[in-house]
Amino acid sequence: MLELDAVTVRFGGLTALANISFRIKAGEIVGLVGPNGAGKTTLFNSISGLVKARGRIAFDGKDVTGLPLHKRARAGIGRTFQIPQPMQHLSVRENLAVAQVFGAGRHDEARIDEILAVMELSHKAEADAATALALQELKRLEIAKALATEPKLLLLDEVLAGLESNAKKSFMVKLKELHKLFGLTIVIVEHDIETISGLCTRAVVLNFGQLIADGTPTEVFNNPAVVESYTGTAHA
Amino acid sequence: MTVTSATSVSAAIRRSGGRGMALGAGLVVLALLPLAAGASPYLLGLLISALILSGLALSWALLGNLGGMVSFGHAAFFGVGSYASALLAAKLGVPVLLAIPLGGVIATLSSLAMLPALRLSGPYFALAILAYAQIFRILATELDWLTGGAAGLQRYPGLPTLFGINLADRAGSYVLVLACVALFALVYVVLRKSHIGTALRAISDSEDATRVVGVNATLLKSWMLFLSAFIAGVFGALNAHIIGFLEPDYAFSGIWSVMPIIAAVFGGYRSVLGPIFGAVVIYLFDQVIAKSLIPVGHQILLGILLAVMVLLAPNGLSGLVARIFSKTAEKHHAGA
Amino acid sequence: MTELILQALFSGVLIGGVYALVALGLALAFGAMRIINLAHGELVLLAAYMAYLVESRTGLDPYFAIPLALVVVGAASWALFLLVDKIQDHRELNSLILTFAIGIILTNAILLIFASDMRTTSSPALQDAVSLGDVFAMRGEIIAFVLSVVLMGVLWWWLKSSWYGRAVRAVSSNRNAARLMGINPARIETVSFLVAGALAAFAGVALYTMSVVQPATGHALTVKAFIITVLAGVGSIPGVFLGAVLLGVTEALTVTLASSALQELAGMVLFLLVLFLLPNGLFGARARRG
Ligand SMILES: Nc1ncnc2c1ncn2[C@@H]1O[C@H](COP(=O)(O)OP(=O)(O)O)[C@@H](O)[C@H]1O
Ligand SMILES: [Mg+2]
Repeated sequence: MLELDAVTVRFGGLTALANISFRIKAGEIVGLVGPNGAGKTTLFNSISGLVKARGRIAFDGKDVTGLPLHKRARAGIGRTFQIPQPMQHLSVRENLAVAQVFGAGRHDEARIDEILAVMELSHKAEADAATALALQELKRLEIAKALATEPKLLLLDEVLAGLESNAKKSFMVKLKELHKLFGLTIVIVEHDIETISGLCTRAVVLNFGQLIADGTPTEVFNNPAVVESYTGTAHA
Repeated sequence: MTVTSATSVSAAIRRSGGRGMALGAGLVVLALLPLAAGASPYLLGLLISALILSGLALSWALLGNLGGMVSFGHAAFFGVGSYASALLAAKLGVPVLLAIPLGGVIATLSSLAMLPALRLSGPYFALAILAYAQIFRILATELDWLTGGAAGLQRYPGLPTLFGINLADRAGSYVLVLACVALFALVYVVLRKSHIGTALRAISDSEDATRVVGVNATLLKSWMLFLSAFIAGVFGALNAHIIGFLEPDYAFSGIWSVMPIIAAVFGGYRSVLGPIFGAVVIYLFDQVIAKSLIPVGHQILLGILLAVMVLLAPNGLSGLVARIFSKTAEKHHAGA
Repeated sequence: MTELILQALFSGVLIGGVYALVALGLALAFGAMRIINLAHGELVLLAAYMAYLVESRTGLDPYFAIPLALVVVGAASWALFLLVDKIQDHRELNSLILTFAIGIILTNAILLIFASDMRTTSSPALQDAVSLGDVFAMRGEIIAFVLSVVLMGVLWWWLKSSWYGRAVRAVSSNRNAARLMGINPARIETVSFLVAGALAAFAGVALYTMSVVQPATGHALTVKAFIITVLAGVGSIPGVFLGAVLLGVTEALTVTLASSALQELAGMVLFLLVLFLLPNGLFGARARRG
């Protein structure tokens, strides 16, 4: 479904991603782990086309490395932003409508209502997306927008951060439900080991732009290099 | 007007159909204006020029509002439209009513040359368009085998008679120009309500977020550029056939870049009616009041007006009106 | 023919010095506030008319107008900053429109006060021809060029070594980071506009001593300054100087080899070529794409 080959991103002198290669199979839920500044968001940016990367990125068997952002979205790559970026000056419903019309190439109000209901945003459907939503609602809108484009692959950037543990648990259930309901492949950036273990079949660890581990959550979190990368930062 | 009726008007405007109603009402007002003006040929002539400017301001505002681009060079499209239509009619014998839209098409073609500028951010785009306008003016002067050079063009057909209406007389021209303004206003309204309009609304302030859901921002913006160029070209062409002479310094004059900005900002460039009425008010103010106060340098008053509007009412008159309506409505609600 | 070309090159370089001052003023305000001041050329024009005023009223050499020009143009630049600073929404777009409006106001005010006639210095000393080998220049041109180069040197040194200079650079690269470092961006912006005004004052007086001015000159200067910053990429003083000289030389060669009607066209074409072919400017300074 998604293949990365020697993906490298540099910002001036800083190498944000160095030679990252891995594959993701259809239907997987993969946790993307790593301390702050490891390059997780940059990896999402390069997959979705927001930053230019060297190397090769293939999606659904097709090379998408040279494709612009909007074509990758139409090909089925959906993503959320770590810092929510609603489309400003639009209502929540309009946000989804634009995503659906341009990302999925059709207009279907019933489906928008369905997505709004699943993401618990129905009551805010007509509210101004940029000004009238609380942070957690904005995060749900991020996912709703991505779903409206009818993606095959969903890249979730720290959507669970800032939730207290009960809310987090029910959100995990929700993500599993989405995974089934929409037949998705998911990559999720998350710091919490328990969440990753509960949600994902596989975890990939980045540190300083390098891929340092890839395996089942149990394997990965017992890997000494991973433990060190976490305890070596203020994060742990 | 009582508070209740003000409230119901504002409610009507806010309802989705309200925009169309406001637009219709506005155009009826414009249609009746000549009656109020006693249809004196002088005033009618002024109003025709004002409406030409309305069309140009509408085209500028469409690019600014939907495309998120400030143009300091709409004179380029206006001038290309004028020359193209006049030349098509004079040299190839194209019927004038066909030559006018073709003038718009050729203005659109000329905007193709500006496509690379779309990748530039705000000020760079604005100035790149200004550069184009200068280049077109100089080309029109230098290509004298085609354009007659600095001496200009005089012998080309005027507006014809259609369905028994002589479009070449003042009343006929007025109706034609008003119909064109109405047509493009309608196109604008429909476009703004469409999904393309919705996406464009988001692009200017959230470009990444919009592109990442599959919107080809550059393509949509280039459509706005084409449409804006087309509209400006059509009004340039109309103007050319109404006034009957063209020279590069007139057709590509900086006035055609400056006046639509002032008109649209004054009226409120984010609305449809704002630029249309802004142009009428600004043009009449400039020609009737400012010119008689300060014969040379009367544009200083327009400059002051523009600066004051940007600072105190950046949404223009239409923004002020909307604010007054919503305040009155709030008061009414609070009282009820 | 070669002599004509040499002469054009020489004249182009000389006017390039003044163009560079104009462009640096524009770049300074842009660096600090991320806005293009579309009235910057009119500020330069204002200074030129101060020189005309002093010369025509007192008979003194136009360079004696520099103190007056500094005060008037500095005040105008500061007032402009205060107005631009009032803008809340859509800063980029509205500041373009506002400064454009101020440009219209200044141009027309000058038109009202000084009429539309072309003005230039009447001082014989400045208009004397000086020969340097095969090429000639007016004394005024040479003085203006030397003055420009000296001012650029001063500005370069000031930006490099003063606290303000470092702060200006910090603000223009990252406002928030600068704020964290305890730099008050508003203060830096004020200083930048004052310095931009001072540069405009010198440039205007110099322009008056070596060339003709009329009310429409202001707008043309803004455009030229903008072209130069595109050529140079906003960033380095030597880059701006080279861009300015390139523009001056291109214009002078066009006038010599083709016609003076094409002078402006040459600048514009150069501008568009660089804009599209070399998005980072001739000297690859900084990206400007949105
Ligand atoms: N647009 C950018 N320009 C320059 N540096 C960037 C940019 N985006 C990210 N970086 C840098 O790349 C590194 C990786 O950042 P990021 O991918 O956001 O990390 P993470 O999401 O893992 O916390 C950081 O050092 C960050 O400062
Ligand atoms: Mg991140």
